[in-house]
Amino acid sequence: MATRTKRYALAIDARKCIDCKACVVACRAENGVLLGKSRNWINEELRGDWPKLMEVFEPEQCHHCEAPACVRVCPTGACYQRADGVVAVNPSECVGCRYCMIACPYDARFFREDLGVVEKCDLCAHRLDRGELPACVETCPSKVRVFGDLNDPTSEIHQLLEKRQYRVKKREAGTGPQIYYLL
Amino acid sequence: MKTIEWQYLIVSYLFLGGLSAGLYLVSALTELFRKDDDSAQEHIARMGALLAPWPVILGCTLLVFDLGHWYRAYKLFLHFRWESPMSIGSWLLMLFIGISLFYAYGWVSRATREQFFEKLPKRLAFLKVFNVDVAPLRRPLAIAGLPVSVGVAIYTGVLLGAVQLRPFWNTNLVAQLFLFSALSAGCALLILVLAMRSRKFEMYEFRSLYLLDVSFLTLEFFIVVPYFIHGELSVEAVRESLKLVLGGPFTLLFWVFFHGLGAGTSLGNRSA
Repeated sequence: MATRTKRYALAIDARKCIDCKACVVACRAENGVLLGKSRNWINEELRGDWPKLMEVFEPEQCHHCEAPACVRVCPTGACYQRADGVVAVNPSECVGCRYCMIACPYDARFFREDLGVVEKCDLCAHRLDRGELPACVETCPSKVRVFGDLNDPTSEIHQLLEKRQYRVKKREAGTGPQIYYLL
Repeated sequence: MKTIEWQYLIVSYLFLGGLSAGLYLVSALTELFRKDDDSAQEHIARMGALLAPWPVILGCTLLVFDLGHWYRAYKLFLHFRWESPMSIGSWLLMLFIGISLFYAYGWVSRATREQFFEKLPKRLAFLKVFNVDVAPLRRPLAIAGLPVSVGVAIYTGVLLGAVQLRPFWNTNLVAQLFLFSALSAGCALLILVLAMRSRKFEMYEFRSLYLLDVSFLTLEFFIVVPYFIHGELSVEAVRESLKLVLGGPFTLLFWVFFHGLGAGTSLGNRSA
């Protein structure tokens, strides 16, 4: 992992998720996401065999990878990574080629036909800059998401990941995803 | 969130870009290795050169219209990002279009050129400065354009192959396949056009192109077969991706329209 003063990340305790979709609605309201598109969503999965079945809800969004494939392939540099690790898109530089959408292992981007640019979760970078939490984190009623600076040993996420076991999705992509699913 | 992002405009470009690169490569190689008194080879080199720029220009137009907003295409040329195959490809395409147009101009006959500049309206008379014979530059241009045309032929394969978690594309075989496919398409179009245009069509001219075409098709075959063997012996994600064309929704498109029609057109040229 590159040396950073800050490294923002998310830990997700999917067992607490009740699929209320408040995070999706909060994100949509905060970032003006068009209806029919979404920066975050909930994956539903049925696990086990009848009669012992369990429905699992897993929040999903951009993983703000340490070595993001989308940033690497972007031909104009519109897709970039901030010093705090957040991966974002500069819409004024985006040409709408959609190569980043093809490259993203998590299919976490969408194309805004009205603006001709690609859009994705930026962890509410404008809120982070004001010292606030991302809208999805703040709004979640069951506190599924824990957001914070991994490089700060006093942060909740840092301590949580030291105590709890976790997994990351598609580790084999080699992009260093920064969403940690607690086990 | 899965959607098919690159559709028919991009697919058409892949064919057109490769076709131009193939035409240029065949023309340039013929020009570089032809004997001075061989009129048949000169005919192939001339036709390849004159045809090469147009498919890629049409293809690039399609690419531009596939962007979010076509007028933002200029932004691609405000940056050069060596780690982005698309950035490298954009510059390669511009360079290739420039060189191939210049090379094609070098093959325009003196009479045609003179006629064209004579017909220019007065307000465009300043363009007459371009009424120069660049035929002596054909060979240097052929040499200069060779690596660029190879780049144009393979960069789309590299571009697709660079996507790590799309197992269908994530192999270096795609770039090789695109190169030989481009060369084969170039030969096939030349055979068709020469057969349609030439009154005195020389069998020797035809045979050399046809042999080249079959050779490139054979090379393609030896890439496609290991591609599937390697894929079937690979991890589950790769095997799953191959199912798309082995009984899955793209089976007909891939085997009949892509491979069948492609190889059929080339081989069918023999009866042209």
